[in-house]
Parts: sequence; C-alpha cells; structure tokens
Amino acid sequence: MGLCSRERALELSLALARESTALETEVTFEHGVERFARFAAEGATQSADRERFEIAVRVRLDDVEGLREARATVSGSTLEAGRAALARAMELARYSPPNRALVPLGGPVEVPRTLAEPSTLAHSFADKSRWIARALELCLPHFEPAGLLQSSALAKAIVNSRGRAVYGQTGRFAASLTVSGGGGSGMAQASAARPELVDHERLFESARRTAEQSRDPRPLEPAEYTVVLEPLAVSSILLFAAYQGFGAREVEEQSSFLCGREGRRLWSERFTLTDDPDHPAMPALAFDGEGTPKRRRVLVDRGTPTGPVTDRHFAARRGEESSGHALAQPSSSGPMPLNLVVSPGQGTLAELISGVERGLLVKQFHYTNAIDPKELLLTGMTRNGTFWIEDGRVKFPVRNLRFTQSLVEALANLRAVGAGGEAAGALFDGEIVTPPLVVDRFRFTSSTDF
Amino acid sequence: MRDLARIAVEEALRLGASQADARVERVLVEELLVRNGELAMAQTREEFGLGISARLSGGQGFSAVPLQGRADREAALAAARKAVQAARELAPTCSSPRPFAPEPGHRGEFRTPLVIDPFRVPLAQKVEHLRAAEGSLAGRPEVVNREAALSLRREERWHVSSEGLDVHQDLLRTGAGIAATAVDAGQCERRSYPASFGGDFAGRGYEHVLEMDLAAHGPRVRDEAIALCRAPQCPGGVRDLILMGNQLMLQIHESVGHPTELDRALGAERDLAGGSFATPDQLGRLRYGSELVNLVCDSTAAGGLDTRGWDDEGVASGRWPIVERGLFVGYHTNRALCERIGEARSRGAARAESWYHPAIIRITNLSLMPGDWSLERLIADTEDGVVCDTVKTWSIDQQRVNFQFTTEAGWEIKQGKRTRLLRSPTYQGRTLDFWNSCDAICDASHWRLWGVPNCGKGNPMQVAEMSHGASPARFRRVLFVT
Repeated sequence: MGLCSRERALELSLALARESTALETEVTFEHGVERFARFAAEGATQSADRERFEIAVRVRLDDVEGLREARATVSGSTLEAGRAALARAMELARYSPPNRALVPLGGPVEVPRTLAEPSTLAHSFADKSRWIARALELCLPHFEPAGLLQSSALAKAIVNSRGRAVYGQTGRFAASLTVSGGGGSGMAQASAARPELVDHERLFESARRTAEQSRDPRPLEPAEYTVVLEPLAVSSILLFAAYQGFGAREVEEQSSFLCGREGRRLWSERFTLTDDPDHPAMPALAFDGEGTPKRRRVLVDRGTPTGPVTDRHFAARRGEESSGHALAQPSSSGPMPLNLVVSPGQGTLAELISGVERGLLVKQFHYTNAIDPKELLLTGMTRNGTFWIEDGRVKFPVRNLRFTQSLVEALANLRAVGAGGEAAGALFDGEIVTPPLVVDRFRFTSSTDF
Repeated sequence: MRDLARIAVEEALRLGASQADARVERVLVEELLVRNGELAMAQTREEFGLGISARLSGGQGFSAVPLQGRADREAALAAARKAVQAARELAPTCSSPRPFAPEPGHRGEFRTPLVIDPFRVPLAQKVEHLRAAEGSLAGRPEVVNREAALSLRREERWHVSSEGLDVHQDLLRTGAGIAATAVDAGQCERRSYPASFGGDFAGRGYEHVLEMDLAAHGPRVRDEAIALCRAPQCPGGVRDLILMGNQLMLQIHESVGHPTELDRALGAERDLAGGSFATPDQLGRLRYGSELVNLVCDSTAAGGLDTRGWDDEGVASGRWPIVERGLFVGYHTNRALCERIGEARSRGAARAESWYHPAIIRITNLSLMPGDWSLERLIADTEDGVVCDTVKTWSIDQQRVNFQFTTEAGWEIKQGKRTRLLRSPTYQGRTLDFWNSCDAICDASHWRLWGVPNCGKGNPMQVAEMSHGASPARFRRVLFVT
C-alpha cells in the first residue's frame, strides 16, 4: 500500500482552490488505504484490501446579509473530480440562505510533518495469515477465537483561499482477539503506529488466559461496589466525556457536564486528563478538520476541568484562539477531543487490586450509552471477564452486570490511578490512552445469567 | 457500468478464483440542517467505486477501489488482483471452508418506488421547508437549540457474478425530522418528531417529508421539551409499559433483529458486536414471546429502508418469519452460513454499506405484526402503567439478553387514564421475559414502518439501514429504574 505524496496532494488541492470564484474556498483531499482480516475458529472469515480518495470543497459566497456556505465531496483523485465537487458546492451555496454566524477561514500555519510507518503500509495478508495461524494454535480446540488484524493509513491535505496549506499522514496497526469457551470469555487488543510494536503473543495469551479464568462465573447481586477498571473499561465510559461533554457546542447549549463547573475542583487531584495528539501510543494527524494545528491541551488539571475544546466558530464566540478540535466543516457535531490521555499514577494492576478489600475487577464494558448528558449518567454491561476481589486478591469470576452510573460522580469517587497507560478502544469507535483506575461506590443495577 | 464489474469478475476467474462477484456503485448523499435560524449544514457527497469479492481454495478476499470514470478498466483489474491475492494468502488459515450456497444467476432491475424525486426538488424549496419547520420551534426562551434536518441518499448499483447474476438497482431513501432542546429548572431535555436521531427515514421520495408536516408539530415538540424539564422523573418500580411505535421499533431491532442474525448466533461477530442467546439448537423450540407475538422479515415491504430486488450476494428479496405465534422459527442468513442451520438457500440478508465494504449479515425490514386493540382501549384497560415515546438512549448486553432503554417522554397511566408527563422513563428487562409479557398489540390502523438509518455492525464497523413496522403494544410488569 502507498499513500499520495505531499507534493501531489497539495498541488491538486491548490490548483482546485485557485479555480474557485467563491469569496472563500477550502479544499480537503484524503487518500486512505487499508487491509484487514477477520478470523474465527475456521480461519479467516472476511477480508478487505481497499483504497479511497476523497476531495471535499467548501465554498463561501458573499452576500449583504452574510455568507452563503456549502460543502460537496466526491470520491476521486483528479482535478476533474475536484472540479465536479467545486461546481456542486457552488451550486449548493447559491441556494443556501446567508449565515451571519460564519467566521473567516484560517490563514497560513505550520504543522509538524507526520508520516505513516512503512511497515504498517507493507503488512500483507500473508503476514496476517501467520498471526491468525498462531491465534488459532493457542486457542483451539478448547476455545473459540474471533479477531481482527488491521493495517490502515491516511494522507490528508487541507488548503484554503487564505493561504492555509497543511499535509500529513498517519498510520495504525491494530490487533484484537476475543476468546470464548466453557462459559468464559476474554478479550485483548492493541494498536500502535507499526506492527512491530504489537506483541501479538502476549496479546493472544492474555485473551486466552482471561477466558480460562472467567469460566463458571458465579451470580452476584447488583449493588454499589469498589471497582478496578482496566483500560478497556475506562475507555468505554471516559469517551462519553469526549463525545458529549468537553466540546464548546455542548457547553453553549448547556447540555454539558462542564456547565457551571469550569475552573471548579470537582474530582480527586490524582485525575488529570489531557488531549494529546502527539502521544506515541495514539498516532494522529497534527491538524484538525479546519487545518488548525492540534495542540496538547489539559482538559482536567488535578481534578479541575479547565474548559471546553473549540473550533474556529466556537473559539470566536468565546473570544479565544481555536484549540484545534474541529471536525470537517460544516458539521452537525461540535468540536471534540479525539486524543484523550489519562495521566498515570502509581501502582501496577496487581498493586491496585491488592488495595481493594471487597470489590470487582472489570475487564471491559459493552454498549455503554448516555442517559443524561449533564451528569454523564451512563449505562452499560460488563463483558469478557468480571471478577470478585476479596482481601486484595482476585477470588472468582462473576456473571455480567449492568451499571447505571454518573461519570461525574464516579470520578469524584476515584480512589487510585495506576501506573503506565495503554491505548484502548470502545464499541462505538474512538480510543484513549489510560492506566487502570480504582473507583469506589460504582453502581450496578441488574445482572445476567452468563 | 456493468462492463467494469464484468471485467473485474473475469479477471478474478482468470487468476484462479472459483467464484467472484463485483458491484459498481454510485452513491449520492445530500444533507441539510437548519439550526437556530441558520443553515448550519448544506453538503453533498458523491462516491463512485467498485467492490469485488473472490473465493479461492476456501479463502475469501474483498477489494474496493474508487473509479475515476466509466472506462476505468485498470482500477477494475487491480481490484480483482487484490481480492484474489487476499483470498490466496488467507486460504492456508481456513481449515473448514464455508460452502457458498448456490443461487440462480438473477437478472433484472429494481427501483425504489417514489412519487417525488427528492434530488429534483429545488434546493431553495427544501431549505425553505426546513426553515419553516425549524421556525415552528421558536418562541420560547427556554429552548436553547432548534433543528430541522433533511437527509437524502441514492445508491445506484450494477452487480454481476461468475454465476450469471446481472442486476441493476436504483435505491433511494429520504429522511427528515425536527428536534428542540430546552433548558429549564436545572434540566436539559430534548424532544423530537417524528423520531429522534435525525427524524424518520423511509425508502420513498420527497412525499415522505411532506407527509410529516413538520411545521405543524413544531409548537407541540417545543412545549413538550420545556415541560419535560419541569416534569417529575419517572419513578422506579414495576408497572405496565405501553411502547409507542417510534420506541418499539428499536426494541424490535435490538432484542429480536440482532439476536437472530446467524453470524452472531454462530459466534462470528464475537470480536466486537457480540453473540446471541438465540442459538441454532433453539430454532423451532424457543418460546421467544407470547402467542400474540409474530415478527416477520420482509425485504419487499413498501417504503422499507432495506427494500430492494436482491441483496449484496445476489439473492432475491423475500418475506419470512422470525417469530411465529411466539415461537422462534427463523434467522437472517447469508450464503456462507445458511447451510449451518440446514437451509439450502440464503434468505438474502447480506448487505454492504457501499462499494467500499464487504457484505455481512444485516437485519432487514423486521416488523411486529399488528394485533386487534385500539390505543384508546389499551390505555383504558391499563390500571398502572407508563406510555413511552421516542428513543432517547439504549444499551443491551453482548448476548442480547439484558437491556435498558430510556425514552424522551413518558405519560403515567392510572386507572385507565393518561395523566402526568414523566421525564426520562427508563425500563430494564430480559429479552425473553419481555416479549413473553406482551399481552396486547394495537391494530393495523396504528401500524407503520419506522426507519433505522444508523445500525452499526461488523469489524471494522459499517452502517446499514432498515425499517421496523410496529403499532403500540403493552408489556406487563416491567421494571422501571431511576
């Protein structure tokens, strides 16, 4: 797999922007490549080797009552394809009513150069086949595996008529394995900028060991328990703060938990949360959907939320500089942080468990969703290994439980933050880097028979 | 266009594939959003690409490439080579290759029936319609966000296979809706019409938008959003539940649709979405619901989001039961897995989001058949219950057993009378207990299809659309939680 070069992407985008007769024009060019293979007990079950090109043109036409804005996107990599997008955007803009709320496009900026790793681009299906064979060897015949191996990369350029021209690449290799059998199940996943950084032996072994240990789970009454949350469980709940809380739009609409709480110490001093696009465990582009450079930003400083992230529109409304968190514009969603990192504390997972007298070790949450965005009241299920802890030791597996818990309250009950940190994803996309956390009085509201 | 698909299939066969099929697709999307008096979003997206699936020595490979034009022969050939190479390199891992159920090589055309082509309605007219709808939500300071949205998607595809399949489909869907968010009394509440998450979607033309009469519903939606902020939280406890169609459709989707996808039931989706309690050994034996419960798949249903001529494995659309008089009798299947439940032919439930995605088993239009109650009689017959309306949030475990749903609004029923408005009614249950507690379903005059435009599944995840028909129904002794 290869990616479109900086020269070609910028040349095409600039040529297209120059052809526009609009007052303001922004061209976004993307080239994505991906190879993935899914597998189960019978071997590879699905695969794809795919490529996409996309040219998006956003134009603004002048009007006495404001600016008429529209965006059109086409799949293609040629100037001709881009012209089709430009023509469609112009047509759409002409019929759009003027909007007084639009702020001018951003001017020239410098962004660090980022490149996708060659070994990620080169990871073949033959390579994936060898990893799959190893997973099957470790699992069969006693356990059923189901997994994914995925190598992907993206090249992106954004240019606009005010002189902004940025280009970057990003690449990611991801592996995950879910192992089931005998009433137990375990899951492990890892992602990195290149496949050599993923220890697949350790990953596969970890999933299999959890499946073994979680066999024959015992029933447990739903109640409030102290929980040790592994990174996959933390990501599933903390990502809701990114989706529904840390954006300036939610704050302006007063649906965010931040409303009335900015600058107030809410949580333990142990909890610091940063949006860090440079974190090595989470490869990312160095600019946002408007081409604004992404900057590391502390969102919660030792228990105190510092304020929401912005794009150019919301930054102007707040009298600030954009924090570089725009999605592609225009968007029905507001700005959001996509590179959350929980600052590490102290203690290995075993040490965190040893500090819990009675509680639960939760490996993962499943299908978490928000009931009330203002308190970040969430519900979801445990999955792939939940264990009873007694006197600082893991005693036995328990059946899955449903939690209904405010994240705002949970972070107020944060007892400990573990050392280190790993990238962990959730069902509805997104990824954060986090160590395990210990939370007291975490509320479980119902149970299952498995 | 079909020539490009044919070129890809022939190249795959030449390179050693035992079976191949290729889809050339052109996708056109238009989205408009009016928010707080401004046109917050006006955008279109057009995609043109080819996806090819090839089978070889038990391995399966898929490749997708964008097409630069009608004559992009090189891209079609490259895609075929990549698909065959993937199949060849992955084949050594396949110990027990899945047989691919035979299917006649269908030929033909299918077009979504429509009255008004929404892409031909002048943009100014569509924007004006949305502005009027959004404007109808104005007039109260408590409302902090007003939205009216329109979303259109046309998908034209040419699909050919090495088995003689040669079909052309022109599929269109239209969706629209309004929503108001109010802040008052320390609460923030949202109310939507006719459904949440962008409104209601159907495999129809612009007539679907006009029939919604959005502007006429605006003042009620606005006032209910404000009233919800001051309404009491729905109390916890056990009472009867009446679900309106725009919530029951999601209950059907999550607790019947997904558990009856055969790939989930066989464990092939455990890596992300999860499995299912409804395993093949229970087929024909499991008491899924009460005698009143009949759930039927129909990929030919008029107006359905998954109404089409053929699925993405070239299987003709059809109608089949999933639950019959409460008994679990059927699955959503594809050609690779149908044989595992002893069925020689696929039901035709394999779909891909677009040319860029391989086909996987998806829920089709799955509906709860109507009963014989009127809504008025149903409420009058309920001593202590809650009527729940419009999806707010939901969650269900990986085996599709334990669920929890919250709706935008609820109304208490006491001694057969609908009384006060309740905020965030949240009910929990277990799938089989829940469907077995269904003791009344409203009649056909209340029944309609509701669209789900955002169903995520697969790994990497892809989105599919389908509809669920429902009329209001009652479920006895359901647990409400706070």
